[in-house]
Amino acid sequence: MTSVARSLPFPTEVIVGDKLSISIGPQHPGSGHFRIIVVLEGDIVSEAIPDPGYVHRGAEKMCEFRNFVQNVPMLERTTLPDANGIIFPYILAVEELMGIQAPPRAQYLRIISAELNRIVSHLYWLGIYGVFLGHSTMFLWPMGDRELFMDLIQTVGGTRVTPSYIIPGGARNDLPDNFKDKALKAFGYFERRLKEYDRIFFSNPLVLKRSQGVGVLKRSEAIALGITGPNLRGSGLKSDTRKDEPYSMYETLDFDIPSYPDGDCWARGMVRFHELYWSMQIIKQAVEKMPSGPFRSRLPLLTARAPAGEAVARTEAARGCMSYYVVSDGTSKPYRVRVSVPSFRNMIGIPYLLKGGHLADVPAIYWSLDYWPVEADK
Amino acid sequence: MSLVRGVFVAFVTALRQLFRRRMTLRYPEEKLEIEGEGFQYDAKKAIGIPGYKGRHILFLDKCTGCQLCSIACENIADCIEMVTVEKKDFPAWVVPKQLAAAATFPQNKKSLWPQIDFGSCVFCGFCVDACPFDALYMTNEYELTSYTKEGLIFTPTQLAIPPKEVGKTVKFQVEEMEAYHG
Repeated sequence: MTSVARSLPFPTEVIVGDKLSISIGPQHPGSGHFRIIVVLEGDIVSEAIPDPGYVHRGAEKMCEFRNFVQNVPMLERTTLPDANGIIFPYILAVEELMGIQAPPRAQYLRIISAELNRIVSHLYWLGIYGVFLGHSTMFLWPMGDRELFMDLIQTVGGTRVTPSYIIPGGARNDLPDNFKDKALKAFGYFERRLKEYDRIFFSNPLVLKRSQGVGVLKRSEAIALGITGPNLRGSGLKSDTRKDEPYSMYETLDFDIPSYPDGDCWARGMVRFHELYWSMQIIKQAVEKMPSGPFRSRLPLLTARAPAGEAVARTEAARGCMSYYVVSDGTSKPYRVRVSVPSFRNMIGIPYLLKGGHLADVPAIYWSLDYWPVEADK
Repeated sequence: MSLVRGVFVAFVTALRQLFRRRMTLRYPEEKLEIEGEGFQYDAKKAIGIPGYKGRHILFLDKCTGCQLCSIACENIADCIEMVTVEKKDFPAWVVPKQLAAAATFPQNKKSLWPQIDFGSCVFCGFCVDACPFDALYMTNEYELTSYTKEGLIFTPTQLAIPPKEVGKTVKFQVEEMEAYHG
């Protein structure tokens, strides 16, 4: 890569020949805590270099100083809107290490909490994606309707974000009695609301002009780059860990994986839009199929030890395939925790997607990837 | 769909929202009604009881000063510190009635109590899970602002006080076509 930007440690605004290189981020409202160095020729992006690491906190190293349960509140904090979703594989890996299995009821409780968080995460994304396409109504509506699902998470887990709800050995508490009524009411409202979302945003010709044919990622390119999650499904590949390698109790639930062959910003958005619907169907089925019985094993929280060994687990978080690799040396603290996050794997698409596009399309493409800098930097 | 028709449909859809009740919670004037009594833990059955994870409440007649809550918090937020408070230092109205006659707290020989710094508490509730005597629960109180950092450190006396009344509360309601506070 020969570039003007690469040769400079921190370019602020540099003109070399016909090329102008600018930094978008890391404190720019259009990128979150993340910098993209964009090299421009006129209005066309000739090169884009992502520069992660601004919010690196060393979560993997911090895991080595806490015991298996104390890691839960810490690891959740990397992705606040998807707290239950990203902690899920860690719990499965630790359970495999300890040789325990959660009771069936707990596995359904985990599915419910993870899918609620998937909806919250997608709605949060939809709000930000909408406002960066210049559609401020699409910022206000999802942020408002997100309240329904935040309320449900609060009823289940006790807090609106980071409930530390799922732990090795099960879930912390049972569903409250009024959860089912509350959830069905909220889903009924939101399913009708999705039709309005479609009319005002996803079928709106002005939004289609901004998103269709912009940032096209072909199916073969997406596979070669290792893109994951809704972005991969937006490129036409029906790949989802929930279906490919069912974990917990996902094999007992009937759901579809939305996929669009276009590979542009609109297709990636539509995948998430349909996932909102399917997540609600999953929760409805899980509440029905949930057996009664215990939901938490009598695991000593403070002194739980895992025998020496290693375990890997992966699940489908809101942004894609999330996996944890946990090594234990027989003490109550993990020897090593390796976190593989979907955001970091999706980031590799940024240079390929932005190249050749207009500067004005940078926010649209960037936000269509649903990149979460804190998750990627860990 | 043609451009004009598509924009018109989107416009009409947005216009309908004008005639619905607003989602906004007018916060300082009215506050959200929280269901339940807060997150609790049944130590005998080893299960949590769902509820809101707000400020803690300490039951002076149950706490034995075993420090398990402090140990549970050690690597999470490090916000629970065990402090010694003699019975004579507690205001009389905090002390539970059945213990008022005794010279000291019989179950807590060393007079050790948790003191929680809400400036660093993350409200995960693992201290509640760790308590084997059901002495530490969480309440619905969430308004914990203070002008100083020291003001966020709750002494055992402050923790023993039940949550204060919040004034006018509204419910979050969902209907067929509208969701609103009120």
